[in-house]
Amino acid sequence: MWGRKGMNEHCDLLFQEHFFPQKSQNCCPGFRLGSFKKCLFSFFFFFLIAVNEWISFAPCGCSNPRASCRGRTTQPEEVGSMPGTELLNSKPRIVNPKKECQVDLVFTTDRYNPEEGEERLGKCSARVFFRNQKPRPAINVTCTRLIEKNKRQQEDYLLYKHMKQLKTPLDVVSIPDSHGHIDPSLRPIWDLAFLGGSYVMWEKTTQFLHYYMAQLSSVNQWKTNDDAIDFDYTVLLHEFSTQEIIPCRIHLVWYPGKPLKVKYHCQELQTPEASGTEEGSAVAPTELNNF
Amino acid sequence: MKLLLGTLYLLGILVPEELGYDGSLAQHRREVVEETVSQRRGLDAYSYTRYHPMEEIYQWMIQISEKYAEVVTQHFLGMTYETRPMYYLKISQPSNNPKKIIWMDCGIHAREWIAPAFCQWFVKEILQNYKDDSRIKKLLRNLDFYVLPVLNIDGYIYTWTTDRLWRKSRSSHNNGTCFGTDLNRNFNVSWCSIGASRNCQDITFCGTGPVSEPETKAVSSLIESKKDNIVCFLTMHSFGQLILTPYGYTKNKSSNHEELIQVGQKAANALKEKHGTNYRVGSSADILYATSGSSRDWARDIGIPFSYTFELRDNGTYGFVLPEAQIQATCEESMAAILSVLDDVYEKYWGVDSAGKAASSAVMLGLLFSFLSLL
Repeated sequence: MWGRKGMNEHCDLLFQEHFFPQKSQNCCPGFRLGSFKKCLFSFFFFFLIAVNEWISFAPCGCSNPRASCRGRTTQPEEVGSMPGTELLNSKPRIVNPKKECQVDLVFTTDRYNPEEGEERLGKCSARVFFRNQKPRPAINVTCTRLIEKNKRQQEDYLLYKHMKQLKTPLDVVSIPDSHGHIDPSLRPIWDLAFLGGSYVMWEKTTQFLHYYMAQLSSVNQWKTNDDAIDFDYTVLLHEFSTQEIIPCRIHLVWYPGKPLKVKYHCQELQTPEASGTEEGSAVAPTELNNF
Repeated sequence: MKLLLGTLYLLGILVPEELGYDGSLAQHRREVVEETVSQRRGLDAYSYTRYHPMEEIYQWMIQISEKYAEVVTQHFLGMTYETRPMYYLKISQPSNNPKKIIWMDCGIHAREWIAPAFCQWFVKEILQNYKDDSRIKKLLRNLDFYVLPVLNIDGYIYTWTTDRLWRKSRSSHNNGTCFGTDLNRNFNVSWCSIGASRNCQDITFCGTGPVSEPETKAVSSLIESKKDNIVCFLTMHSFGQLILTPYGYTKNKSSNHEELIQVGQKAANALKEKHGTNYRVGSSADILYATSGSSRDWARDIGIPFSYTFELRDNGTYGFVLPEAQIQATCEESMAAILSVLDDVYEKYWGVDSAGKAASSAVMLGLLFSFLSLL
């Protein structure tokens, strides 16, 4: 059922995928898959990390609804660098030409740090809805065959404990480095950064603008002395259709079982065509609710 | 007799060394020998699965043209904005055969590191295999390869020293307040009409005019001067996993669009066979975004029939910062795609059918002229 719930009522960011944008209007370049109907944060985070990867697939713009998008299978050698999702199918359709764009997707997911040859877990279907070329598309997603709740919470807590033991990575220059390498010990930091970055990207994605996280360019703060992980960092987002690089300062606070808090500020460019809706500004701490 | 003299000459050089004559000539000769050996060792030790800074690429070009001097020559193309020399390698099997030219450039956008890595891989593959591999041998019978490993040298160096994600050149504008032109918006084809910016702060700044940049001028001049003989213009980029045909400045299609798609699709299939990677094929305006002033569109419009942009790996997971661990697989599959294109191009001009057609038209002309001369 296509609901009219606002995004406030959903877990805001789970995983993201990318289309390739078509040249003109009415296409669905990128979107974020938002929430499960009933999602608990532990599950959310766990899967967010697990499926948080960029997938792009065949152009399936809403301007050409008859074009069916063929999914791209994750390549074996990409699994290591791309833990996450395998897109099985996607179908776009125009709801109102030029105004709205709806995309249906089917995909599978991996658990965080999957074992070699481990079977893929969740099977998910999602509907993404862009309205009127505005950002923050509404997303409705359901998955089956996920890890059961207790196990998820357990795994989240283990990850959290592991992160608390990490040495303060303040001297980190960039992840990945210029040669594309991520030190295994720094991988959890990248993943957490990606989690926050994904939320920012969802907030900015429209039918025409879609984002990748190019680099974690600096760690400003990594505090774990309280119960939560308090993480202040800068990422470089890459917007594909304009090819621009956008630095975003992100502050996130995470404790397993509690809602993730994300605050961010992006350095937006002033372009003549800017409608004004996407000017970067400090957003009040947003709680990603579990409802 | 000559052989005897030659041998005596050599002995004359080598023996005094052995006997410990430490003349300066002997010393110099030893140094030259050592240097050549270490250079050759340098090339043997050169890793094609790592990214190299510009200094190493300059050195590599010299070493390659020395080691394979029988087929490779290094040529000066022009100077960059920051007055660095631009060189391309010409790979040509000496023969009396008529030759057509394949042009390949890499690194017009500074941050797309996998592209220069591929150009070096391509050269290495051709040169290591042209004697034994029948496919490459065949191509070199009638094709010369012109390879420009790094087009945007200033930008490339800037990504090593200062900003890994820089894209443009390093030209200075507005009294030094604004830097860089998007060289792939600077060519003289529907210049700055769409998909480009007149604002020098923007990442798709088209320059102060068509071909305003020295790098663009250098490439344009050479291509223009040889355009009658260039059959294939290939420009390598990342990322996106795409094989793009003209045009970006319009949705209209080139006269040979069907053929370009067919050849492109065959190349994508050959690519996929290597490691399963999916590439899409289509015109830039259809499957990417609108652009004007691109080198590929310009090349097509001055008459070069097979003009493609390749956007190499990946799909955004790492984007421009592709891990070195993926260089080999990327280059192997891309090589398969390029060779597929070259095969099709070769087939078209020197294939069995085309040879037959050429022969029969030659016969007809011959008959016609002899008939006319009898009148």
